[in-house]
Amino acid sequence: MQNNASTARMGFSSSLKHFVKASPARMALILAALLFLITVLINPNGLNPTAIGSIILMTTLLAISAAGQTMVLISGGIDFGVGSVMSAAAILTTYTMNGQNGHFVQVLVMALLMGAAIGAMNGICVVKIGLPPMIVTMAISNIVTRLQYVFTQGSPSGYASPLFVKSVTARIGGVIPFIVFYAMLIFPLVLFVINRTRFGKQMYMVGNNRVAARLTGVRVNRIVILTYVFSGLLSSFAGMLGAAYMNTARCQIFDDYAFTSLVAVIVGGTSFSGGIGTFGGTIAGALLMTVLSNALTTLALSQPLRNILNGVIVVLLLILYNRSKSVRQ
Amino acid sequence: MFEMRGIDKQFDAVVALKKASLTIEPGKITALLGSNGSGKSTMVKVLAGLVNPNGGEVLMDGKPIQIRSGMDSRKYGIATAFQDLSLIPTMSVIDNILLGNEPMGSMGMVDRKKALREVNELLERFQIDCDPNDYVNTLMPSAQSMLEVAKAVKHKPRLLLLDEVTAALHHDEIDILFRVLRELREEGVAMVYVTHRMNEIFQICDSATIMRGGETVISAPVSELTLSDIVFYMTGKRPEVSDKNPTVEHHFSADAVPVLDVENLKISPKVKDISLKAYEGEIIGIGGLEGQGQSELIRAVLGEIQPENGTIRFLGKDRRFKAPADGVKSGIGFISGERNREAIFAERTISENIFAGNAAKGGLFSYLKASTVKNFARNAVEKYRIKIGELKNPANSLSGGNQQKLVVARWIAMGPKLLLLDDPTKGVDIHSRLEIHDILRQCAKDGMTVIMSASDTDELLAIADRIYVFYEGKVSGMLSGESKNAQRLVACMMGMTGKEEAVQK
Repeated sequence: MQNNASTARMGFSSSLKHFVKASPARMALILAALLFLITVLINPNGLNPTAIGSIILMTTLLAISAAGQTMVLISGGIDFGVGSVMSAAAILTTYTMNGQNGHFVQVLVMALLMGAAIGAMNGICVVKIGLPPMIVTMAISNIVTRLQYVFTQGSPSGYASPLFVKSVTARIGGVIPFIVFYAMLIFPLVLFVINRTRFGKQMYMVGNNRVAARLTGVRVNRIVILTYVFSGLLSSFAGMLGAAYMNTARCQIFDDYAFTSLVAVIVGGTSFSGGIGTFGGTIAGALLMTVLSNALTTLALSQPLRNILNGVIVVLLLILYNRSKSVRQ
Repeated sequence: MFEMRGIDKQFDAVVALKKASLTIEPGKITALLGSNGSGKSTMVKVLAGLVNPNGGEVLMDGKPIQIRSGMDSRKYGIATAFQDLSLIPTMSVIDNILLGNEPMGSMGMVDRKKALREVNELLERFQIDCDPNDYVNTLMPSAQSMLEVAKAVKHKPRLLLLDEVTAALHHDEIDILFRVLRELREEGVAMVYVTHRMNEIFQICDSATIMRGGETVISAPVSELTLSDIVFYMTGKRPEVSDKNPTVEHHFSADAVPVLDVENLKISPKVKDISLKAYEGEIIGIGGLEGQGQSELIRAVLGEIQPENGTIRFLGKDRRFKAPADGVKSGIGFISGERNREAIFAERTISENIFAGNAAKGGLFSYLKASTVKNFARNAVEKYRIKIGELKNPANSLSGGNQQKLVVARWIAMGPKLLLLDDPTKGVDIHSRLEIHDILRQCAKDGMTVIMSASDTDELLAIADRIYVFYEGKVSGMLSGESKNAQRLVACMMGMTGKEEAVQK
């Protein structure tokens, strides 16, 4: 009884904040649903199979690109290279496939190798140089972006193979895009790594308390490097799928994903300071970000206004999700 | 001139000071003495403005004053030289000394010429061999300690607080320091001198104030005190000096191989020369005043610190672990008393925290069932009847004592050959403390070797089969059987080994 009374006395904003903190993933889903509802009410045309299908597609793409970011954040780092790796992988895909079927495995191997190499570079530099991960990954991301221009003279050529495009964008019953089959492969794999391996457990330990993790016998550097490698792998795979979705690629085509994936991860309840977070939350966060972008598109606002609104809403979300711990000595 | 009366201070539930008092007179050096946790450091911090007392008053020239910050402290003419240096390592010597005290030239600019002259005079006086433009982190630890004192003296204080400043100094440097301190005494400066070196008290101090358990036990002129008196007031026990040390082998057959055999270990600056042996199923205590190298030794065995010299034999083999991960893999467990910083994963669940040691071992990507983690945690908790709440709650929902039990559970569940504990019951309630002791005894009975440092002497006497006492980075005594008593322990803690006549009087 007493408990209920005190809960009732709690202000709306604080109880909302409490709810968000109790389950950020759930909150992201509710917000996404609300936002979608509002969009449909304002513009009923928004409720059509194509729109819903593309929300699913974009959510999947964003979730895959943000999966590695989730791991990096859980272990206490940050990866600003997601976008540039995606772009580079997309360019690699269209260039190698050149509109011809039959190069999928070759492209997959090349893209993953590239992603792993860039991820390893990020990880090793973060660990060895000792600079903040934000700076290191931005610098390396910059190099990756410039390399895109060097290798393509600024104008990438080629197309994704028709079969590959189909495997991503074709719709089941006109609604559900085939990309969900990739998701059915990747999501369980990511969930397995995060939740069902010692690597996953150590990741949380490193992110929550690095000194304690080290003294408990965790090889902290190895874990940190591996999270960046995973981020590189998953980003490059997302870049491949993105190439199929866009059919062609240009330099910096997916650079937005660097920031969007980060916001999706945070909104999904992963802590900026490490040690807390789930991939389920990230998927919910990706949905919310996609629905938000969809809503702004449906409202038919001008591009600058859309960007401003997007920025404002993201800031509001981050304030709502502010879970930062006080800095430890 | 300065007087502290009835000072109270609590840190949460821990009482640091109880109606403590201290009288400081100009032109006198007052020794402030006490064992671990006696409150002497807190007293110094009150005067330095780093700790605000909960009660009592500080008087200057008979008038009550409020020291709320380091700024206030300086305003009243108090300067402090700390053991853990307050110098900024990445700034030059001259900048460190003048920090916040720069001589003003024309137009509000720093008068570099005057500054340089003053600093050179100061370095000359303390015979510190360095260039004013050298960065502090390039200096030897001893030079840094001297610089710390020089910096405090530069403020021309009425009261100079010296907190264990000689710990890192060599003999000749101590002589230089004492000469300067005597000069300052002539000039009428009051000094509070905190140390654990008994001989220094008789060399330089005029009076002594001794604290125990947060209370002031006695204040008297040094000339009226004997060494035995001082130790008695500090610890409540009369020291018993003996040069007979029991031998280790006495308890074990000659061909028994120690689980851990450390020989002549050296880790600068704290550990100078330490040898110890631990056999299977033994509980080895490491005693001593705080900061005599206990932590460093334990961390060197684990692989967290790399020693410069000496051998570490673990299970009969020479080992130098490069990282704690190597030590853990070979069968060593480590429990730190610095829970928040070094042991607990506060945001993670209790079961994950218990599983942490296991999670750090084995294949990184092999399949780990959810029930594996849960069952591991439940077994650990049930086997030693540890009551620590719901397994799925985060670790920070627990009290300090329960958090420490959690860490203990983490390691005993792993069944390491050797369990290292670094002051594990610091800030732990008495009930949890006893529970932890029971668990350790049970583990030792099952064949685990336990090495535990503790700042609490009663605790050491209660749990350890044998106690190595550290003093200034060396073993000042090994106690076992009949020699394992409080009197011997305090004597060794104060460095009174009976063998050398370092301590006269």
